[in-house]
Amino acid sequence: MSQDLSRYHRQMLIPGFGEEGQRKLLGSKVLVLGCGALGTVIANLLARAGVGHLVVVDRDFIELTNLQRQVLFDEQDVTDAIPKAEAARRKIAKINSQVKVTAVIDDVNHTNIEKLAEGCDAIVDGVDNFETRFLANDCAVKHGLPYIYGGAVGTVGMTYAILPHTERGDSPWEQAGAATPCLRCIFEQAPPPGMNPTCETAGVLSPAVSIISSYEVNETLKVLTGNWSAVCPTMLSIDIWANTVKQFKVKRAYDVGECACCKKRNFEHLAGLLSSATTTLCGRNAVQLSQPKDAAAPKLDFEELAQRLRAHGPVTASKFMLRADIKDNGAEYELTLFTDGRAIVKGTKEPNTAKSIYAKYVGA
Amino acid sequence: MADNITVLIPTALRPQVDNQDTVSVAGGSVRDVLGSLAGKYPDLGKRLFTANGEQEINRFINVYVNDEDIRFLENLDTAVKPGDELSIVPAIAGG
Repeated sequence: MSQDLSRYHRQMLIPGFGEEGQRKLLGSKVLVLGCGALGTVIANLLARAGVGHLVVVDRDFIELTNLQRQVLFDEQDVTDAIPKAEAARRKIAKINSQVKVTAVIDDVNHTNIEKLAEGCDAIVDGVDNFETRFLANDCAVKHGLPYIYGGAVGTVGMTYAILPHTERGDSPWEQAGAATPCLRCIFEQAPPPGMNPTCETAGVLSPAVSIISSYEVNETLKVLTGNWSAVCPTMLSIDIWANTVKQFKVKRAYDVGECACCKKRNFEHLAGLLSSATTTLCGRNAVQLSQPKDAAAPKLDFEELAQRLRAHGPVTASKFMLRADIKDNGAEYELTLFTDGRAIVKGTKEPNTAKSIYAKYVGA
Repeated sequence: MADNITVLIPTALRPQVDNQDTVSVAGGSVRDVLGSLAGKYPDLGKRLFTANGEQEINRFINVYVNDEDIRFLENLDTAVKPGDELSIVPAIAGG
């Protein structure tokens, strides 16, 4: 069936795009991982650009503090307590009826990511933790899918398009000489829990996420239209408060490096070897989260974490553990943290809720 | 020697350097520069280096001389010259 392309007239004027590019977009399927600050901008712009099928995955519900930056949501969504992925689907249906949205209300993990990515032409990153990013990277490299990384917190952000080296080396981007190192070539290890500020503890300025996510969409449009040589070969790093824009070179990371993922094709994250585990603690309305054992990971710095968490409620910390009361979206939780990153989230029996609280307030 | 290498400090580590976004130090190699930075700001040193003294940078932090990652140059022995910019870049997790 031929679709009316008139609404895309302005972008079809762009060189390298045209009607052919537009038809490619309409025939594309993209996995949008996470539908928060980055994810809403990504889903919004991809839908308006006419990407035919978006699979939007998110485990959270909308809350009032999201509205400052999560552009697809409004006050009614908060009142109705709608899951983010579903709210995005409804909003996009009003924005562009030519786009199909599959809303998936779930945690992304090693058991489901390959199925979610099935038939997709690219994976775009809107998640809030590195565990899921390394998982997406493994999936992208294993299946030869472009993966566009983006992250933002406070006033800083980073983004980078991965056109992975494949097993047979015959992907269109490799044939065009445009393959790039994978995320693990560049970041060997995820920051340990509690090491980095999160949007919940350090805040976030909406332009930081808008710039990074718009840039991710930009690279995705090049990918979906096959403009491989136009894809940015460097990693962008911005600080919109300190007024710095840097482009870091990455090419040597693949040429010189010994990446476990894209060179040795060892997909540890996808195999679940490095994933965190959740256990619902029977009869206690609590979930335990344990982190993968990594001898090189430093112990949690309770002093600094306690300082950040005090903004959300009372915190007590000893040498061995930290306990914080957290109010999140009207619910109350008690978070107990141990120095190796293990945590108990009291106030829920839902593993996904506990994981979300951990990612938001401790970070990973 | 003049303090002629500019080190860009990421937001997450600014509390460890009196909230400065850049610090200028002297040195002929990345090891010199980061060593004297850690000497001046021990809390930053603790974040930057592994428990193994000042021999190895934590694997979740990248260091760039201008726009090149030191891991793919001469690592801590990478030479720096006056006017070079050294960026400390932790992976950004938020979103």
